[in-house]
Amino acid sequence: MSLKPELLDILACPKCKQSVELDEDRKSIHCSNCYLRFPVRDGIPVMLIDEAECSRVAEGN
Amino acid sequence: MDSKFKNQIREQFGKTAVAYVEATHFSGGEDLEEAARLLKPSHDDNMLDVACGGGHMALFFSPMVRQVVASDLTMQMLKKAQEHIAEEGRVDNVVFREADAEDLPFPAGSFTLLTCRIAPHHFPDVPRALREFHRVLRRGGRMAIIDTLMPSDPEIADFFQTMEKMRNPTHIKAFSEEEWQEMIHDSELILQETLVISKTHDFQEWTKTAGLNRAKAQELNKFFMDAPQKVHDYFKIESFAGEVESYTDKKLLIYATRKEKEKHIYQKPATEAPKESTEET
Repeated sequence: MSLKPELLDILACPKCKQSVELDEDRKSIHCSNCYLRFPVRDGIPVMLIDEAECSRVAEGN
Repeated sequence: MDSKFKNQIREQFGKTAVAYVEATHFSGGEDLEEAARLLKPSHDDNMLDVACGGGHMALFFSPMVRQVVASDLTMQMLKKAQEHIAEEGRVDNVVFREADAEDLPFPAGSFTLLTCRIAPHHFPDVPRALREFHRVLRRGGRMAIIDTLMPSDPEIADFFQTMEKMRNPTHIKAFSEEEWQEMIHDSELILQETLVISKTHDFQEWTKTAGLNRAKAQELNKFFMDAPQKVHDYFKIESFAGEVESYTDKKLLIYATRKEKEKHIYQKPATEAPKESTEET
């Protein structure tokens, strides 16, 4: 089951509730507000805050 | 939801996902039909089924609505539900999301229908989940929650809490009808109707869906058999030769809605009201 981009309209970041975007490889979804990246497993987005990867690079690195 | 408890939920429901998908006591039932009667689903409805488990609610409603988003905390459960729905063939309007009921990943007002069946007794913070349900429902949206009803007699309630926890340690707490009414009111949802539905459980299947081994099932059997008469009467415990065959509990169906948008009718301020002219023309 593929992840249809139009279904992102009814998906939001579980933390800030802002809109999320599908990554180009369609393997993850990211929130550019919280810098969180949510994996997509077997076509199912894993929209859990503590399963998300924080993609923010700390300043000074 | 704290991550330790979340992992416990995942472990519990991950190991029993197949049993939940296949369980006949979940796939049908009066509660599903009553929920449909009250919610009056239509093909304009965008539905969210929170804590979908084996996907039975989503599958039941899918022919009646435009789309169902089914969410659950346990990936194994979602995968099994997805496989099960794919095997049904005809269904192409159900999508799955791994999500926490207390931190829903949906924009405000995304759904016109919301269901949550036999799940809130596993939620650590039901008022928080209800606030999320209110948020993701569109104004005028309809919601049905079905959960096991806490018996009002304290002794029967104690038995109930203990046996549910013996069966499944992730059982937190069921609520009385009064507690539900208060929580619904506090979350600014409008309670429309409640309904109590009896549900008979085949004891063996019921222990199997929780993944109990033989020793644990026997312990639970003994706990049932040793219970006081009033517990036997309340749960209509049926047994043969010391083995519990079935028992009947009560499910509460709560039908609530989100308040409609208030209509603002423009009224001319009183000062602008035309005065009687005294001038002669």
